[in-house]
Amino acid sequence: MGSAGDEFLKNLVYIRGTKEGLVLQFDDQCAYADLLSELKAKVSDPALDGSAEVQLHLGYRYCTEAQYKEIVSTIESNSHLRVAKMRSEVISVEESNKRIHERQSETYVGIVRSGQVVKAEGDLVVVGDVNPNGRVVAGGNIYVLGRLKGIAHAGANGNREAVIAASWLEATHLMIDDLIETMTDELTVLSEQPEMECAYLHSNGQNIVIDRLQELRFIRPQISTFKGGS
Amino acid sequence: MGEAIVITSGKGGVGKTTTTANLGTALALQGKKVCLIDTDIGLRNLDVILGLENRIIYDLVDVLEGRCKVHQALVKDKRFDDMLYLLPAAQTTDKNAVNPEQMKELVTELKKEYDFVIIDCPAGIEQGYKNAVAGADRAIVVTTPEISAVRDADRIIGLLELEENIEPPKLIINRIRQHLMKAGEALDINEITTHLSIDLIGIIADDESVISSSNRGEPVVMNPANPAAQGYRNIARRLLGESVPLMTMDKQGTGVFSKIKAIFSK
Repeated sequence: MGSAGDEFLKNLVYIRGTKEGLVLQFDDQCAYADLLSELKAKVSDPALDGSAEVQLHLGYRYCTEAQYKEIVSTIESNSHLRVAKMRSEVISVEESNKRIHERQSETYVGIVRSGQVVKAEGDLVVVGDVNPNGRVVAGGNIYVLGRLKGIAHAGANGNREAVIAASWLEATHLMIDDLIETMTDELTVLSEQPEMECAYLHSNGQNIVIDRLQELRFIRPQISTFKGGS
Repeated sequence: MGEAIVITSGKGGVGKTTTTANLGTALALQGKKVCLIDTDIGLRNLDVILGLENRIIYDLVDVLEGRCKVHQALVKDKRFDDMLYLLPAAQTTDKNAVNPEQMKELVTELKKEYDFVIIDCPAGIEQGYKNAVAGADRAIVVTTPEISAVRDADRIIGLLELEENIEPPKLIINRIRQHLMKAGEALDINEITTHLSIDLIGIIADDESVISSSNRGEPVVMNPANPAAQGYRNIARRLLGESVPLMTMDKQGTGVFSKIKAIFSK
């Protein structure tokens, strides 16, 4: 490379130190191969000898899963460095749609009868009863405007903050994430009056508890997305 | 063009076959031309209850496999001059001998000649059920005031609602024992209908003569004084579009003794 080119050559990998460790800022316009070769050179620099947590800032570069793994393994080939966090300004359309889907609430109007399964990626609103042996599954919260007498599984994709609320909560089984509660008679959380109740995971992370629906705004304030009002 | 009604329940032993025989007979008594089809292949009963067992020559499978014509297999009930016919099920094979397309074709053909084609569905939700509902336009779900029967009815209603060609199913609550219901020992009519949330088309009182008359091969509906028979007759009238109020179970006793008892209990 000629000397005239050098002064225009930007740093493709810019390293700076912060309180939380090293931040590796990547150029997001150059070719991936160039970026990788520069990264290799920089991380093998013997000057980087203290162990550090590394944050990656990818900027507007979209990396595939394989590329991302390659970057991480390149950095971690230096035994002192560990990638703690990755930040990117872009996601794929697919990913974006998935996220929109997960945030949306789906509405099912009708009765979920014995043997039927109603599933939603995000929140699920059932307008009608869930009969015994009927099953409702949601990635987010479950709201039943009617009698919940069957099985409800909220936060099915690992959301432990999810809740199950029903006008009449008489479910045979309640599930949140990977926890299951069978609603047998000896269960102390089972209330005399099943009207307007909600079930959520106790902060100990081991029990599903039931409370009045009115308490939900204190238990899970983040569910409310409503802003403003007078 | 007549209509095809499937009588189903999910659970066994709740009275599908008895209901089929009695509803068919009641409709025939109302002057409608009725054909009953027994789809319980391998475990046929409808012929016995109608007292037509020893008149069977060909059966459903013979028809579908082309060994005979439909009219050759139909057994005429001589008691109701040319109004009631039975297409019996085969006894020597099983439900897999028939497929839903064949049934649909058969029922469509029969609907041209009969006002009502009533299909007696076997218990369960497998092949036999699929065959039975294939050609139906309407469905009647039979249940009893027992939790197990109601659960199975719920399942079957869910499956029926998925069938695009069938109208929303109607409900018959069979074998109602007034004293148990009053005492709260059995599910009451309201509880069952709100749980299943479909329209009730009739209720049938539990009556011992249903068993004895079935054993004689005479559907109970032929005796108009019997309370169960009245229930079936009312359902038949409702099927024909009449609006008949739900009978009150309290007035069951029509004998002299119960009338006297009624006077004193006032």
